[in-house]
Amino acid sequence: MFKKFFNALNQPLGRVGILITLLVVFSAAVWGIVQAQTAPPQPIQFPHNLHVGVGIQCLYCHPGALRGPSPGLPTETKCWGCHQQMAITKTSPLLKPLVQAVESNQPIHWIPVAQVPDFVHFIHRPHIAAGLNCEDCHGNVSKMTVYQSPQVMNMGWCLSCHRAKTEDNIQNNPNHDPAVTAMLQEKRTKLTDCSTCHY
Amino acid sequence: MAIDLQIPVFNNNSEAELAGRWGMSIDQDLCTGCQACVAACAMENNIPFVGEVDAGYGRGMHWIRIERFWQGTFPEVKMTPYQPVMCQQCHNAPCEPVCPVFASVHSASEDLNLQVYNRCVGTRYCANNCPYQVRVFNWRDYADARQRPELVTLQNQLNPDVTVRRRGVMEKCTFCIQRIRHVEDTAKSEGRDIRDGEVVPACAQACPADAIVFGRVDDPASKVSQASKASRGSHLLEELGTLPNVTYLAGGSTK
Amino acid sequence: MSEQISRRDFLKLAGVGAATTAVLTGCGPASRYVTREPYTKMPEYTYNGLSTYYATTCRECSAGCGLVVRTMQGRAIKVEGNGNNPVNLGKTCARGQATLHGVYNPDRVTDPIHRSTRGSEGADKMDWDAAIQVVADALTKNKPEEIAFLMGMAPDHLFDLVTDLAKSIGAPAPVRFGALGMFEARTTLMKAAEDTFGQSGLPFFDLGGADLVLSFGANFLETWLSPVAQTREFSKMRRGQQTKRGYLVQFESRMSQTGAKADEWIPVTPGTEAMVVLAIGRLIAEARSLSLPPAFANVDVNSVAAASGVTLETLNHLVGLFSSYDHPLIIPGGATLGLGNGLQAAEAVLALNALAGNIGKDGGVYLSPINPLTDAYHRPASGSEMQDLIKSMSDGKIKVLFVHGVNPLFELPVKLGFGDAAKHVQQIISFATFPDETALQADYVFPDHHGLESWGYQKVATGSASSVLSGAQPVISPFFNTRSTVDVLLAATQKAGGALASAFPFKDEVEFMDSKLAGLLTVDGGFFSAPEINSFAASFQQYGGWWKTTDGRIAPSSADVLNKTFKAEAAQFDGQGDFFFVPFVSPILGEAGANKPWLQEVPDPTTTVVWNTWVEINPTTADKLGIQDNDVVKITSAYGEVEASVYKYPGIRPDTIAMPFGQGHTAYGQFAKGRGVNPADLFGPSVNEAGDLAFAGLKVRIEKTGKKRQLSRLEGVLGVYGFDAKQ
Repeated sequence: MFKKFFNALNQPLGRVGILITLLVVFSAAVWGIVQAQTAPPQPIQFPHNLHVGVGIQCLYCHPGALRGPSPGLPTETKCWGCHQQMAITKTSPLLKPLVQAVESNQPIHWIPVAQVPDFVHFIHRPHIAAGLNCEDCHGNVSKMTVYQSPQVMNMGWCLSCHRAKTEDNIQNNPNHDPAVTAMLQEKRTKLTDCSTCHY
Repeated sequence: MAIDLQIPVFNNNSEAELAGRWGMSIDQDLCTGCQACVAACAMENNIPFVGEVDAGYGRGMHWIRIERFWQGTFPEVKMTPYQPVMCQQCHNAPCEPVCPVFASVHSASEDLNLQVYNRCVGTRYCANNCPYQVRVFNWRDYADARQRPELVTLQNQLNPDVTVRRRGVMEKCTFCIQRIRHVEDTAKSEGRDIRDGEVVPACAQACPADAIVFGRVDDPASKVSQASKASRGSHLLEELGTLPNVTYLAGGSTK
Repeated sequence: MSEQISRRDFLKLAGVGAATTAVLTGCGPASRYVTREPYTKMPEYTYNGLSTYYATTCRECSAGCGLVVRTMQGRAIKVEGNGNNPVNLGKTCARGQATLHGVYNPDRVTDPIHRSTRGSEGADKMDWDAAIQVVADALTKNKPEEIAFLMGMAPDHLFDLVTDLAKSIGAPAPVRFGALGMFEARTTLMKAAEDTFGQSGLPFFDLGGADLVLSFGANFLETWLSPVAQTREFSKMRRGQQTKRGYLVQFESRMSQTGAKADEWIPVTPGTEAMVVLAIGRLIAEARSLSLPPAFANVDVNSVAAASGVTLETLNHLVGLFSSYDHPLIIPGGATLGLGNGLQAAEAVLALNALAGNIGKDGGVYLSPINPLTDAYHRPASGSEMQDLIKSMSDGKIKVLFVHGVNPLFELPVKLGFGDAAKHVQQIISFATFPDETALQADYVFPDHHGLESWGYQKVATGSASSVLSGAQPVISPFFNTRSTVDVLLAATQKAGGALASAFPFKDEVEFMDSKLAGLLTVDGGFFSAPEINSFAASFQQYGGWWKTTDGRIAPSSADVLNKTFKAEAAQFDGQGDFFFVPFVSPILGEAGANKPWLQEVPDPTTTVVWNTWVEINPTTADKLGIQDNDVVKITSAYGEVEASVYKYPGIRPDTIAMPFGQGHTAYGQFAKGRGVNPADLFGPSVNEAGDLAFAGLKVRIEKTGKKRQLSRLEGVLGVYGFDAKQ
């Protein structure tokens, strides 16, 4: 039975079939990867550039970053706090979804973009505490409308920083104090340990 | 009797690298077999229920189980003391060297045996090798609400700190590492060390008899170190040389 | 390609291509299919990714353990004990842990419904205004003596409202009942205390202060009275003392989970427990060269030894224990009280405690602290009081029956006839949260919130040395279109108007609750105080209740105890079979846990069986009868029959069989329905002297059916007895 199948594959028709299947699989994979990395259309095309431009800090709308795992998405009451005082809110078609949401007390269905898979537990707080700025990982948000990730947020990218920051520290440790070295080694081990993020 | 099984010792971590060593002591004189720890563990770690048929096949997903055996016949019959058994987080874990994809690894920083779900391909060699039989396998998509409509509302009680596993993935007790991480993060943010007794795994938190004590075994002042020193303390299957991090305090009239 | 491709072949290829594409489109990234909905108005104390914790009370049994529930973004995700609550001090049992499988259960009653045919699962949804009108009409359009309220074990704020409501309209006071109350024989315990001490109250056994405990059937580590508190006290008894390790002797015909912890398990012949107590008392009195108290005068030690199977040697050994330990405590409970002579057994035990000199002393017998809101403990109904209610129902004296927090069609033995009596009740209104058997026979189901969605307080009956009122608040918004029964009743009184409306001028449940809590503002000794009700209520919610910091145990007078006389007689048994029947409440499922899937999957502590009912038979007896593990046998009593799979259980007398209570539902959701059997189907109407059902007073027959049904066990079938023992 298999012989017949392989014989069929050897035929020109069979070869074309294999080619088509491979092409389909390849394009599906490319499509999947491209889709995962492009920003999806959001219910409101929120212009970060505009809001950063008027001086709003990241942590004003995303305060959770300072305290815990997730910076969170702002509630519509946060938007409404300023927007109810602005004349443009009533006239602009771009703000219509916000007005509708607030008046009907319905949430805005944002599509999360800066996501890591379910099996990764990422916590913002220690990264902020380590002195990172939001744009170090999220890119220059002041130039974006809806958020788009400037690079693929995969494990290799995370580890590149985890390794670099700790390895560099060990290499450049000036006083070669063994206690300090031990502490830095502990830190490097911790930052490259599987269970720091995967549990 | 010490059997030399010639198990190679994998020295995973130097002392310098260890952030700490977590261990547990379980007092069998106090454990009443109430299974509060079993239920608490299941609720904390999003452990799916498998139903009667699969449980009958031995596919029940219990990360911790209470073991007991019968001795003798009526009227001289006794039940051996209730013994909660969970992953012993062996220092020399037999489940680690056999994983072909390094999903079962030793944590260099915490002296725990880790199960990295995204790496696991489901060979089940680790469960085969575990002398305590504490590893459980997701034989089906037990947690998938698309396949089991009764889970649609029950999903709301899932703990977001713990990954929900799909089929084909091995899982086991993690000493509630999500709680360890949470406390480490809190302590770090407050600029202090972790206090003894601050990390409480779900089983220890629920146990009405306070039979389970958890903490740092590398800290001689911690409650668990003190408890583990007791003369009635022993390890399970000590002769295999797995160096478990769980000490069992024998029940009965021994001092 | 040199050859032509035919049209057919082209279509085949296109099919392959399409199929491959169709399969692969399922591989899109998950983020495409997920949206995030932030709060519209986030509560001020909430942070993204961080949990909010609420203190409330567990409702899985009536112990009143305090809980702290972790919620994240409006969902309850983990239950922990409230470390402040003196009953459980931060601990929970398996049932409390699984309560989340109740609030998010797929089979909850989601809306108020009207059932036009009793017993049919189909019902019409109603809206709440119409539902409240039905309740208002039921309260006003019937003669007050024809209205009955049947409620569950927990004396909570709803019970207070219903008590006031019944008094206001002139209806009989609400009746409380639960299977646990039946198996605990609370009426017997209270009557024994009353007869012995001349004071009414629920006995309190200070386990933690004792060093020698003789338990006659009391399975205090399982579901008896307040298991979490008792387990903690047991722990203290065992290892918490400076001088010695606590010693436990358990007297029961079937080794329970509690009995397995005992240092000695003494399998007395069922029915002779009271005799053994009296014999021990006599031997102690003789050993101490005391003048023989009247209580222990009428017992002949040798005939007790012969009847009970406890040899003279063992009895003397037990007496010897009393001299090696300083704080002996004897506890009556479980099957010992569920016999025809249960009251006598309880009183004999109290007399033995008096002889041991522990009445009103640490490690001894007290009366439980009275909760802060009342003057006395109000106990649930006994078996004979329930039979009175059932008789009123069958006599047509009750036109409308309100049912809340209890499932009498499952929890009461079938033989008592609640099901038939219900047919004579014109209108049954159930407030059940789950579609249980009683709700299925109700004309209306107006579902109450789940415990975790409810306000309220619960008066703690026992378990702690302090007087405790445990508080409840919602930890999540109501998940379905349910409504608090207190709110429904208050709204009904408003709709009814007139005197009834002015008697209950509360706009909602919280206002009613506060009106009751206001009484605590002037009470001293609480762990917090407040000048007025709003700040009081705020602290009440934050800490999960209000309790006194002082010792609330009541030391009863032991003056006349030893002058009471007893007759050393064995109990009478109902039925003609060869085997004593010992039903016990499943330590995991309790009375109402069968609808929670994770509870079903938690192994039974002594057999490790999951998801089913089993019957325990001594292995020697089983071999003699030619019965194997997993054989289905039929058990017949004088009142009914059930079939169950066999578990060869080493820790049981050869003339006794046992079966857990908790399964055998015919409704109650997909995880409970059609699973296992209910041993209460075998029970009859016999009661003990106090009126509690003599549930352990049956003799039954066993017959092989030839069928086999495998039990799912965690332990597997191999190696239960060890490899070297004969199987």
